[in-house]
Amino acid sequence: MTAAAQETGGWSDDQRRHEHLLLDEFHRLAESDPRRLQVRDELIELHLPLVHHLVRRYRDRGESTEDLVQVGTVGLIKAIDGFDATRGVELSTYATPTILGEIKRHFRDRTWAVRVPRRLQELQRQVTTASEELTTELQRSPTVREIAERLDISQADVLDALEARQAYSTDSIEPERDDDSSPGLVATLGDEDSAFDAIDERETLRPLIEALPERERRILMLRFFEDKSQSEIAEELGISQMHVSRLLARTLGTLRAGMTAE
Amino acid sequence: MTDIVTVTFAADTQNVALARTVAAAMAARADLPLDQLEDVRLAVDEAATEVISSAAEGATVTCAFDHDDSVLYVTVSAPTSATEPPSPTSFGWTVLSALVDSATAEIIDGTLSIRLQVSSDLVDV
Repeated sequence: MTAAAQETGGWSDDQRRHEHLLLDEFHRLAESDPRRLQVRDELIELHLPLVHHLVRRYRDRGESTEDLVQVGTVGLIKAIDGFDATRGVELSTYATPTILGEIKRHFRDRTWAVRVPRRLQELQRQVTTASEELTTELQRSPTVREIAERLDISQADVLDALEARQAYSTDSIEPERDDDSSPGLVATLGDEDSAFDAIDERETLRPLIEALPERERRILMLRFFEDKSQSEIAEELGISQMHVSRLLARTLGTLRAGMTAE
Repeated sequence: MTDIVTVTFAADTQNVALARTVAAAMAARADLPLDQLEDVRLAVDEAATEVISSAAEGATVTCAFDHDDSVLYVTVSAPTSATEPPSPTSFGWTVLSALVDSATAEIIDGTLSIRLQVSSDLVDV
């Protein structure tokens, strides 16, 4: 049985009808219609179990489940946008190869970005898993010592694994959902009282920050102007702390480059 | 216990990666949790970049790390051509202050020093 059939096989007629109505509406709405994004969000939600199901095949490969779900969701969104109901296939059937394609591309791009020796790949996989388990158990970010003890490896090995992870390029996995209707960030930037407005280079920074992808902008504001920890941000956005850390490092690099280019 | 590690390198941004790596290792010795460790990596990157950007021609940057059981101390310094330390309201400084518990900068005898201090979140828990 295919993944798609497993997912939608359990659907009631009502659910199926609901999905078809949503798809009809989605393709009738103009691209500029704000309702279109709402409908798309509902469709995404409806098919998230399929993404989770497909991601399960790739666990134990050193990537966090949350990150893979995010990558898979990008595939789902692409499938929804490109879906043609008149072809007579179910969306879940159509979306499955697109989601798998995104996940595979994620792994491929990662390996291309940096050639990581096999020993380090294995270490990374272990460190990622141990770090996620310990975070759940301790209800906080673990220390290098705690991870080393859990895995019975040296702290130097843990540091090597962390550093290699940090070096990965994740450029290709960013879900670029240009969702300008989401509140918060633009409002935060415009707020006269916000800490941002006390910054010397704000006029140079403003366009650079506004050009960032929505998620990077949010992480930047949460970390530097709302004093949230990386773990808190990770939880709020549903991604791993390591991913937050990579995105922060990259965002700061982008802003720095943009500011010196002025 | 304390142990002091000092790294020196030419004031060139390609050496910043070196400082980041040592910073992460020292943060681990101070038993900082991973999210603080990654913050320290970013903070040292920021501090070293700042010091390099105002370094005098041909200057050498010194990164000194020290720690006790739960606090990490970092000093990044280099001879500078600047007369004023980085503005506390600059973006770079805002970033630095958010990443560590305390960040200070001063110029004494033509040397810019940025001092950072991070206490482990695990103390008092």
